[in-house]
Amino acid sequence: MYESIVDLNLTNSKVRAKWQAFLKSLGIADFSDREVDQIDFTIGIYNGDDLVATGSAAGNVLKYVGVCNKGVTTGSRFNAIVGELVNRLFQQQIFHIFVFTKKRYSESFQHIGFEQLGDTDVAAFLEMGDPNIHDYLDGLPKVPNQQYQQIGAVVMNANPFTLGHRYLVEKAAKQNDFVYVFVVSAERSLFTADERLKLVRAGLRDLDNVIVVAGGDYMVSYATFPAYFLPDNVTATDYQTALDARVFKTQIAPALHITTRYVGSEPLSKTTNQYNQALKRELPPDVQVVEVPRNQDQTGAVITATRVRKAIKAGDLSNIIESLPSSTYDFIKENLHELQSRIMKGMNIDGN
Amino acid sequence: MEIKQTAIAGTLESSDIQIMLSKGQSGIQIDLESDVKKQFGDQINAVITETLKKFDIDNVKVKAVDKGALDCVIKARTIAAAQRALKTVDQPAWEVL
Amino acid sequence: MAENGERLRRTMMFVPGNNPAMVKDAGIYGADSIMFDLEDAVSMAEKDAARDLVYEALQTQDYGDAELVVRINGDDTPYYHNDIKAMVKAGIDVIRLPKTETADMVKTLEKDVLAAEKEFGRKEGSTHLMAAIESAKGVLNAPAIAAASDRMIGIALSAEDYTTDMKTHRYPDGAELQFARNMVLHAARAAGIAAFDTVFTNMDDTEGFYRETRYIHQLGFDGKSLVNPRQIAMVNKVYEPTEKEVENAKNVINAIEEARIKGSGVISMNGQMVDRPVVLRAQRVMMLAKASHLVDEEGNYIEK
Repeated sequence: MYESIVDLNLTNSKVRAKWQAFLKSLGIADFSDREVDQIDFTIGIYNGDDLVATGSAAGNVLKYVGVCNKGVTTGSRFNAIVGELVNRLFQQQIFHIFVFTKKRYSESFQHIGFEQLGDTDVAAFLEMGDPNIHDYLDGLPKVPNQQYQQIGAVVMNANPFTLGHRYLVEKAAKQNDFVYVFVVSAERSLFTADERLKLVRAGLRDLDNVIVVAGGDYMVSYATFPAYFLPDNVTATDYQTALDARVFKTQIAPALHITTRYVGSEPLSKTTNQYNQALKRELPPDVQVVEVPRNQDQTGAVITATRVRKAIKAGDLSNIIESLPSSTYDFIKENLHELQSRIMKGMNIDGN
Repeated sequence: MEIKQTAIAGTLESSDIQIMLSKGQSGIQIDLESDVKKQFGDQINAVITETLKKFDIDNVKVKAVDKGALDCVIKARTIAAAQRALKTVDQPAWEVL
Repeated sequence: MAENGERLRRTMMFVPGNNPAMVKDAGIYGADSIMFDLEDAVSMAEKDAARDLVYEALQTQDYGDAELVVRINGDDTPYYHNDIKAMVKAGIDVIRLPKTETADMVKTLEKDVLAAEKEFGRKEGSTHLMAAIESAKGVLNAPAIAAASDRMIGIALSAEDYTTDMKTHRYPDGAELQFARNMVLHAARAAGIAAFDTVFTNMDDTEGFYRETRYIHQLGFDGKSLVNPRQIAMVNKVYEPTEKEVENAKNVINAIEEARIKGSGVISMNGQMVDRPVVLRAQRVMMLAKASHLVDEEGNYIEK
């Protein structure tokens, strides 16, 4: 029979409680603010007073999709919920949609037009819409005769670009015919994606065999992966780093014939170090991982972007001038007030 | 005619078909997902192609997820998606209906 | 009025206009009228898609003898004109105007429909109209609305919006609808068009549905609006004539036939003259009996 889809207002405590209880009965247990607060809208299907299906969207990510198939054709409610979520996002001009889900649901999403970008033992990452991974890869500059070249890659957030980043890229450039530098596109940093990309380009302009590109939606800043559906024994970081590595390994590297990925050693950041370990676990043998020790500035201090951001906050650039290429230093000097006001407005500078 | 923006029409419910149109460079490229693709894939693609041609849409990427739609439903959803993609929803193409 | 009395309108089944499964299957349940809904059952973002879907279905699907109705969006919406054009072009039997409050709204609709008939080369006057009464103002203006156009075939009471307008809601006994039902029914009868009762939404209350249907049948409504195909057989059962009614009707029909053979202008039965309302009722009873499969080809009652 015809079941209508309704909006669920999670700010209504009764609705929220019902929604949460329903998802709990389906094995979803994480309703932390980190996950729930990002939700833009939630829809559901009721059968009488019982909630029997629900789904949410946070930005362009589908979340908390849960369906009870009792008494109906398997898949019908799932299709109705996901179809409605997709339609609503399209109405909002969001044409490119992601979903992170338990591995066993990947097929259900693939069955309705989603394409899997990567999966691990527990989780899968899928997309639908436009532009998709193929459009992204098609749009990247290609190395001529790539199959005969030695090609390396570096992925960086570069918030902002330092001589430490440059040191890493230089190493890679020496050891390869060509090097792709992917700059993460997610907007979660003190420096905007445009600013970061621009400063990376400026700081590497003299290296002829380096190709700087935007990471698009696929060099995901892994910390943004939703993790609410994971079983208790899997830590979010493990899954997030593994999934990110699989996308690189199965989608990006083969298309560009990348055979080596360079990462900076991470004596100071635990999560980044975990990420490097995950890359070493996941990428070989298809893609070798080379860990380059951090270089130090003339005073012997390890160069990190975190230190640069702290200096910006303090308004004292004298200690970081040695750590930065002139392009980055000049940009910071010119935009110091703007950057400081972003920090004042609450931009976190302790992360990556 | 040129696709002005990516657009979608239809649902994933039984007897329906979801049609997504986006800009393309090389003809009408259809990526069809259907349980009955083997038997009816050609027919479904033909209805979509024929309808798009009536709109003079020559270059477009089509993603279609079929849930057992009849030809009239395929045509209706393609029309709706095309008008949305061309931003002409308020001026129905009477000659195409 | 347009060809009233020629068809049964016991059941008018609502079909959400953007649901392909229901649009495609609407013909298989045996409803007297099928009403494709472009209005309340369709969200704003899907108005265009629903219109396209109903249009294409009307071109290709076989809905048998059912009268095909479409509920368009009101003239206070941006969809009104395109709905009219598309449905006239599609050759729909009846356009149903929602939230009708004045005779002028019907007259405006008539003008718009005529323009569409001209634009798409459809026979002028072939698109019929009906109006849904959904407010106090609509109820009070019902007589004028019912008589507003020769294209009108019926008016319908729509109780959800009406009860909201009346600052009440629906109750099982229907007392809150008493006045509106009688107004709509009288307006329809005075104008010689059909009267449709509102939907009954509680799918689990079969007894309540029968009670309400028997009640509106008793009042004299032509039929009822429905949202669930399961209700069709139930309404038809209530509208089944009794054996006695069928026998009486048969006698009247025989008397007409005799008068015709004799070449007499006066129909008489049992020494009494049979006047026109009796003839019309007999014809309607026989039509109901045939539709309910209670009589054979010759009109003889089939013993159960």
